[in-house]
Amino acid sequence: MSRLSGILWSLLFLAVPVLGVATFAVAPAYDIWLPKDVSEHGKAIDGLFYFILALTGVVFIATEVLLFWFLWKYDAARNKNAATYIHGSHTLEVVWTIIPAATLLFLAIYQMNTWADVKMRRPAMSPSVEVVGRQFEWRLRYPGRDGTLGTADDLFLVNDLHVPADEDFLVQLKSMDVLHSFFLPNLRIKQDAVPGMKIPVWFKATETGQFDIVCAELCGWGHYKMKGRVTVESRADFDRWLESQYAKQEATQPEPDPSTAVARAE
Amino acid sequence: MKTITQRPFAGLFAVTFGLASLVGCGKTPPAYFRPNMVEATKQRLSAEQEKQVSTILLAMFGTPDEPVCLPETGLDEAKLRLAAGPVRSDVVGRKNGLYREHCAHCHGITGDALGPTAAFLNPYPRDYRPGVFKFKSTERADKPTHADLVKLLHNGVPGTSMPSFALLPAAQVEALVEYVKYLSMRGETELALMRAYFELDDDAQGKLPESREFLVDETLTPIAEKWKAAADARIQVPPMPADIDLVASIAKGKELFYGDKANCVKCHGVTGLGDGQANDYDDWNKAIVEIGKELASGSAKARETSTAGMSPEELAEHRAQLAWLEKFGKVLDGDALHPRTIPPRNLRMGVYRGGRRPLDLYYRIHAGINGAPMPAAKGTIPPEDIWHIVNYVRSLPYEFDGELGADRPMLVRDRF
Amino acid sequence: MSTVTSPSTVHHEHAAAHAPHQASFLSTYVFSKDHKVIGLQFLFSTLVWFLIGGLLALAVRWQVAWPWSDVPVLGKLFAQEGGQMAPEFYTMLFTMHATVMIFLVIIPILAGAFGNFLIPLMIGADDMAFPTLNMLSYWFMWPAFIAFGASFFVEGGAASSGWTSYPTLSTNIASSPGSGWGQTLWLLGLTMVGVSSMLGSVNYMTTIILMRAPGMTMFRLPMTIWAMFITAILQAFALPVLTAAGFMQLADRTLGTGFFSPEGNIVNNWMQSTGGGQPLLWQHLFWFYSHPAVYIMILPAMGMVSDILTTFARKPLFGYRPMVYSVAGIAGLGFIVWGHHMFMSGMNPALGVTFMVSTMMIALPSAVKTFNWLGTVWGGRIQFTTAMLFALSFVSMFIIGGLSGIFMAATPVDIFIHDTYFIVAHFHYVLFAGTAMGVWAGIYYWFPKMFGRTMNEFWGKVHFFLTFLFMNGTFFTMHILGAVGFPRRLADAYHYETFHHLQPLNAFMTWCAIGMVASQAIFAVNFFWSMFFGPIAGRNPWNANTLEWTAPSPPGHGNFDFQPVVHRGPYEYSVPGVEKDHLMQTDPPNAAAAALAAAH
Repeated sequence: MSRLSGILWSLLFLAVPVLGVATFAVAPAYDIWLPKDVSEHGKAIDGLFYFILALTGVVFIATEVLLFWFLWKYDAARNKNAATYIHGSHTLEVVWTIIPAATLLFLAIYQMNTWADVKMRRPAMSPSVEVVGRQFEWRLRYPGRDGTLGTADDLFLVNDLHVPADEDFLVQLKSMDVLHSFFLPNLRIKQDAVPGMKIPVWFKATETGQFDIVCAELCGWGHYKMKGRVTVESRADFDRWLESQYAKQEATQPEPDPSTAVARAE
Repeated sequence: MKTITQRPFAGLFAVTFGLASLVGCGKTPPAYFRPNMVEATKQRLSAEQEKQVSTILLAMFGTPDEPVCLPETGLDEAKLRLAAGPVRSDVVGRKNGLYREHCAHCHGITGDALGPTAAFLNPYPRDYRPGVFKFKSTERADKPTHADLVKLLHNGVPGTSMPSFALLPAAQVEALVEYVKYLSMRGETELALMRAYFELDDDAQGKLPESREFLVDETLTPIAEKWKAAADARIQVPPMPADIDLVASIAKGKELFYGDKANCVKCHGVTGLGDGQANDYDDWNKAIVEIGKELASGSAKARETSTAGMSPEELAEHRAQLAWLEKFGKVLDGDALHPRTIPPRNLRMGVYRGGRRPLDLYYRIHAGINGAPMPAAKGTIPPEDIWHIVNYVRSLPYEFDGELGADRPMLVRDRF
Repeated sequence: MSTVTSPSTVHHEHAAAHAPHQASFLSTYVFSKDHKVIGLQFLFSTLVWFLIGGLLALAVRWQVAWPWSDVPVLGKLFAQEGGQMAPEFYTMLFTMHATVMIFLVIIPILAGAFGNFLIPLMIGADDMAFPTLNMLSYWFMWPAFIAFGASFFVEGGAASSGWTSYPTLSTNIASSPGSGWGQTLWLLGLTMVGVSSMLGSVNYMTTIILMRAPGMTMFRLPMTIWAMFITAILQAFALPVLTAAGFMQLADRTLGTGFFSPEGNIVNNWMQSTGGGQPLLWQHLFWFYSHPAVYIMILPAMGMVSDILTTFARKPLFGYRPMVYSVAGIAGLGFIVWGHHMFMSGMNPALGVTFMVSTMMIALPSAVKTFNWLGTVWGGRIQFTTAMLFALSFVSMFIIGGLSGIFMAATPVDIFIHDTYFIVAHFHYVLFAGTAMGVWAGIYYWFPKMFGRTMNEFWGKVHFFLTFLFMNGTFFTMHILGAVGFPRRLADAYHYETFHHLQPLNAFMTWCAIGMVASQAIFAVNFFWSMFFGPIAGRNPWNANTLEWTAPSPPGHGNFDFQPVVHRGPYEYSVPGVEKDHLMQTDPPNAAAAALAAAH
């Protein structure tokens, strides 16, 4: 029994790398993986993710398999040799200190450029939109025809962000009340909205489509409700949409037969 | 050497652990509509009478899980079934239980604004039961149209906790609007039934007639008719002249704003910050305040009344009155939200609860706000003047250096 | 022989108390100053809170898997809504789950239970340097127990702004129901826990420095003690910052100060009257403590695992000095990485670069430790006891937790995975699959010393197997969920169509979580049964070599029969030329005498 139990326990530890790798390998087939990336810098971020995944994957498999192997081989019930009386190996310590240190340092330095691109090198342009997080919605304000935020021709919307494709887009992010976080999964963008601060967020969307805006910082009981939608469309469509929204905002007459229009929208 | 163990403590913990694990097995009862206890107590209904109302309502409107709607209501039962019921937890992309998923925790399962979150919101969520709605395109005393409610769900109510549901599929929005109307009609029916006891003559022996004629034709149908008539009660809005001189219009609007006819500054303040006055209530809160006053004076009177020299009948009545006062006090604690004043809107913020279109502001000024102290300008101020006021109000947030008041919080002060 | 210290002088008061053994029930069992009793008081209290924290987690998992469904047990509280949980209640659940687990379970069980019980025994002292302070450090936990427990029942409910308690959600009373009384009680409870820890850390540092047995040099200390020592230093330096921050937040909430509230902050249509503060200030202060806190929450477990692995591999620890330096390195570096919790916070992005470098580097000492553990197991004679299985799984799971940390250290990748389940996976792997496994290893290993009986090995292995299985089932796929971008702290993630297809996976994870909590019943029964009816253990049932195993099981007053004198380092197993496969630390220097001693 004790011979068998050692084998079984070793195999249990072998299951860790096997099932671990299997889970990661199988997940994309079930559509449980990184969401579609439609931003310019997203490629760099995803690339870094995969690079780290490969690196940690190799270390994971190596260390876990080694652990399994040692448990299998040195099981006292099956291995009658005395244990090796050794207090360590100076060489090994040096090797397995220097190599990880160098790898980690390399990893850190390798990523600095991408970080700077996303968070430090702001494009020289005035904000395309102001996004204000509020319990529990995203209030948007486009600068309107005069291109300046804070004037009477601003366009006010809620939760419905439109972005022209293939253009630099600069968001001025604020919060009206508590911390929120402006998370666009498909654009690989995340930035906390801090009350009292105006934080610039920029990106370039490369594909059209409709994607989520998610609040990624606990902001109260309605944190899960702070769903927004970002629509990436061509510049022409974007301009058309902006005009139509503006016309709606300035409406002085009711819409013709609105209940039918809603039913038609189904 | 004395050994030290913690066996006594160990035993105690083992027992506690064992007992604790036995706690709380059993199924939760299904959701139920909460009766309007404030009204029931106000009308001094007996327990049998409250039960009768509940039974009638059950027959006419069903339960939160199984709604029923009579054809007289004009509601679409299929849409109600979509909105009603528990949120089905085994199917994602679920289509049932919409109301409970999106609305119930603020508005309450009964639509009575007594959901668990409601007390912490400022302003309180809407209580549908009186059938009064603030932001619509119809005349003051009329119901909102179907389209008004759809628009409200789309836009949310900016400046409050009511979110925008624009990202919900249109069919789900329709179902929710239908369910809101259902809850409102149910609430109004409940109020009508509870008030009807007062009108009964002695033959009825304190029981309402359970005839179709009384319940449907006399009680439900008038309520439903008002809802159906909403589409015809829309405010006729004359167009704003296309060639209007905005600057002149704003100047004229300012004159009217400060003038005696419109007298906007009385509430909205000469600053436009909403600091003209601070101690009025909207109808929902006013009702509770009135009841509170009545209770306070009733209690004072009851305390002062000497029971000496009272006949047995008088004594019984006195005691009943004391019991009723105590019951009502408890009902106010448990079944009503603590009243809050309603500040006049701070017009410098650029936040407009009913919508920011010029059209929406026209509606607000023309019809006032139903349920709130904002009066109707209809009849007092001619339409073109209302447009001038609208233009002035829209310019208010930008009056200082063209910057939105909300961006300059110290200017805005603490009124929203 | 000369003595390094003279315990009897330090403990004259204790020695005097020896004479009359008619101590009252209260002073023996309740307000005891004996470190072993205090250690067990901590153990029992924290195990109870472990259960409570686990049940809170199950309620969280239930909502994640089946939002708005009828919750078992709690559903009765929500009867009017058909058993459906209110969303603010969900925020209270995960806030208190984390708070309880961190402050009432992990930190006190490591330092308060194991630290208290083991430190004097493993260094050869008869008690702590300050027994009264020790007793106080336990009793200061009770106001915290009451504060956190009561917070669910006050108006507005328990704290609901996360265990991280970020302003302005936590400071503005109108922002959330739990930000009223619940948050105030939370802050008070936290202060009490902080005081308890600080009292403990002062005691541990003094005891380890001053009260080691003769011959017990610093580099003969077992890794458990090194870890406890360095953890105590971490606590002493980091806690004051948290306590100060806690007071500042209390002041903001009750005295109208504005440390963390910006001007014109309007929440839920109530404006705070003061301003001029910054929400980010709290984050810096909080994480300055809470990052070292996570090392406080793992280093003792690492130390215990080192001791357990060596005992059941019958081999010395591979790289003892590098291991000690690594622990010190983790602690030291731990003070300069706090900003990695704040990469997205809005702090100056240039800090994202500096903290990325320091955070990457802190992976290094952990890697060195992992390699040394592998080196310890290599070439051994491995006995698969329950304690060994838990210790091995610590290593195996810590590899996962540590490697997943590298993803977050990479700031560009953190843009995507911050505040997603990837983070949840990481910390549950290091804290639960890591530390909690280490704690169970420690319980199975030192149970004989604590109670004089061994726990049942068969049921221990069943407990291990089920826990290991269900734990991985619950937490491993959280890495994948994080890769999807599945956010944390959402009462209903399926509000987003993009996450609809993840519901079956979440349901699977919840079933695993339920299985995992249910499996702990086996441990609970084994623990209490063995305490009364388990087989009597001798002094050294595991044939281990450290000092505590020379004392009786359980040790009495004064711990040792006679003053131990240390002649060799820890982990002297399978010494060549010696018949017995281990030498105690007290065994005299030459082998013949060792064989003679072994013959007793």
